[in-house]
Amino acid sequence: MASIDLDKMLEKIKSTQWALSDIDWDAPGAELITEEQWPKLKEFMADLMWIEHVGARAFAALAKKAPTDTLREIYTYFHAEEQRHANAEMALMRRWGMLEGDELPEPNINLRIVIEWLDRYADEMPVYVLGTVVPMLEIALDGALCTFLLDTVKDPVCHQAFEKINDDESRHLGVGFTVMEMQGRSASYIKMAQMMARVMDPRLILGIASYMPLLNKMRDNVIAMGLPEEKLYKAMQKFERIGGRTEEGRRNPWFQLIKQHGRWVTNRSNRVYHVPVDALVKVTGMVPRKALPAVPSWVKELTYEPTTTR
Amino acid sequence: MSTTQDSPKPTKPKAARKKKVAARKATARKAPARSKPVEKPVSVLIVGAGFAGLGMAIRLKQAGIEDFIILERGNAVGGTWRDNQYPGAACDIPSNLYSYSFAPNPNWSRSFSGSEEILDYVHHLVAEFELEKHIRFEQNVAELRFDEKQGIWTATTDSNNTFTGRAAVMAQGPLANCSFPSITGIEDYKGKKIHSARWDHDYDFAGKNVAVIGTGASGIQIIPELVKVAKHVKVFQRTPGWVMPRPDFATPEWNKLLFRKLPASQQAMRDLLYWSHESMALAVIWNSPLTRIAERIGKWHLRRQVKDRWLRRQLTPDFTIGCKRVLISNDYYPALQKENAKLITWPIARISEKGIRTVEGIEHQVDCIVFATGFDVSNAGTPFPVIGRDGRVMGDEWKGGAQAYKSINVSGYPNLFLTFGPNSGPGHNSALVYMESQLEYALKGVRKIVGEDLKVLDVRKDVQQRYNKAIQKRLARTNWNSGCKSWYLTEDGYNATMYPGFATQYAAQMADFKEDDYETA
Repeated sequence: MASIDLDKMLEKIKSTQWALSDIDWDAPGAELITEEQWPKLKEFMADLMWIEHVGARAFAALAKKAPTDTLREIYTYFHAEEQRHANAEMALMRRWGMLEGDELPEPNINLRIVIEWLDRYADEMPVYVLGTVVPMLEIALDGALCTFLLDTVKDPVCHQAFEKINDDESRHLGVGFTVMEMQGRSASYIKMAQMMARVMDPRLILGIASYMPLLNKMRDNVIAMGLPEEKLYKAMQKFERIGGRTEEGRRNPWFQLIKQHGRWVTNRSNRVYHVPVDALVKVTGMVPRKALPAVPSWVKELTYEPTTTR
Repeated sequence: MSTTQDSPKPTKPKAARKKKVAARKATARKAPARSKPVEKPVSVLIVGAGFAGLGMAIRLKQAGIEDFIILERGNAVGGTWRDNQYPGAACDIPSNLYSYSFAPNPNWSRSFSGSEEILDYVHHLVAEFELEKHIRFEQNVAELRFDEKQGIWTATTDSNNTFTGRAAVMAQGPLANCSFPSITGIEDYKGKKIHSARWDHDYDFAGKNVAVIGTGASGIQIIPELVKVAKHVKVFQRTPGWVMPRPDFATPEWNKLLFRKLPASQQAMRDLLYWSHESMALAVIWNSPLTRIAERIGKWHLRRQVKDRWLRRQLTPDFTIGCKRVLISNDYYPALQKENAKLITWPIARISEKGIRTVEGIEHQVDCIVFATGFDVSNAGTPFPVIGRDGRVMGDEWKGGAQAYKSINVSGYPNLFLTFGPNSGPGHNSALVYMESQLEYALKGVRKIVGEDLKVLDVRKDVQQRYNKAIQKRLARTNWNSGCKSWYLTEDGYNATMYPGFATQYAAQMADFKEDDYETA
């Protein structure tokens, strides 16, 4: 498949904007959430919302490093759009009575660590590192989780909101894969050398150390929701399928690395990977929240209110 | 050193301000607003009664040329400084440098004066040099046409009056026109809309939720003032600019006395300011080690005033300093951090009936939107049709970007002098320093036309082309052309605005009036 025209994509993004006030959050249907569903859904939605939010922050970092003006503007929009998704998901939580007062839902510890990492180091990362990781996160976590949600929840407002969210996400993925292919166009060995130099960067190693347990933790949450983990793996395999559809895509060393990692994640019998990473999930689960610094102020920009005067 | 923030300027009561404005208008109206066509051509026809037009008038008078008229579209003098009276409006060049050397003012109250004081200075120029009788108010030029046979320029106004002159000076100003930006849905908005350059002094901001769009030179001056009075201020930023500290302080009385008694001391101060600004060219115009130092100062200023890491990131520019206009302020960053202020960096999706919708899906509802979105700069056209030899139209010839010879003459448009013409803009020094050089040059041209009774003094096409080729070559190496988008550049990235050099270089080129460069008849 040929890469998309980014200028046309930017125009499309600008012309297909929606706002929270386009949805009637008080419309009937909230009662379709069952009592049994409610507590698990609450946790699930909190995770989903935080993934959107960390995705937003990653796009903000990408915007800083984008190689062209068009891509910079696209990422600036994507940053805001991911925030919109998080806001909309919070509005759904509010609708379902899952928010206490004005409190933000608590992120799980692995997300909390990723937030910390993004805040400190994301802006320093080269564009193609996050440019490859973000599509994986979007396709695997965001995309797969959304599908699970729609299969489970009958509330029509939830479906209405996710129809809009998914439209945005399909554009995010389209751009994501195009950028991955752009990276694969130059000589592989140079890219490989550059990549290896990057991998040696301790800041990136810290990032990898936060990313790996996050995926496993999400898998655990998916299972806790009573959903088959195979669906998550299927979504992750989609990354390999789409990302590797062209020669350029396959030549991107970051794609190869993330793809390989995806294979490890989806192969539960790979004990070499899963034993230490699951241990990491357990260890991070023991990190007292007080040990982490205060959440960065970009987190406080989340809101479930469609309109505001302050 | 006191700062603007430490010692805020006393705010004048609204009634007093209104009285002052009314008094200024009354003074203006006293001037004869003749609308009958002037039959005998004057020596010089000047368009615009701002700094440039009045400066030209003063220099003509000082040179003994009295038969000139100034056409002013408004009913008062002052141009940009008359129009830009928004709260906090001030010049970002020290007043001792942002004034004419041939009309010094020893009484500037601050190192960086506010727009009201600058406007008072302009009025003082009119009174001191008895310019009122030369000004024709409410004459909005709709066309300027050259008659080659007679060697006469005719200005036709939109009320169909005509004025003729042997030479013409276009001093309508580069920052004279403004309009609301074309944001989707702007026409749906039901609240109050105010443009910074057309301030509504009757609108009471107390208790109001206000949005400000734009964080350029005007925006960063308005925001701290609005935060003082409004209930809540949301600032919508697209690109953060470099903000440098502003060494602003009140002038002590002894200093004013010294300048009055010993004018040479004021000239010495002016020289000191001039050379210190000249040195800034090395940081602002070209990418040099000094650029890095300037950027460090900017980042230090940000770090010192903004403690939150995310807000600092939002306010950190991502372009080389100088590429866009450098901003100076001590109270902008603190204002953004007040309880009743918030910086919004989400892109604007549209304007709705009640406010501004940003891409993160939220509608920010406000009572008033202030558009600090700048001016309609004519860097690829002219504000009104200018028709030269053989019916050529300057706007058409400038479609790909304006160009002139030494910023002041355009081939095919004889006896016409531009002020703030193409490639005359400074990024580091006082615009009035450049202006003085232009006025002297125009004066030489006028003297030649009148003294030698010339019908045509037209710069040669080849000379103009050679000049522009060299200018564009030099511009390619400047920070302005280093990749950011700014009002200095046309849509296609052509720089028709700035002069790529020191003010001293510009003055040297303007001091040299080469007759060989012109065709005469």
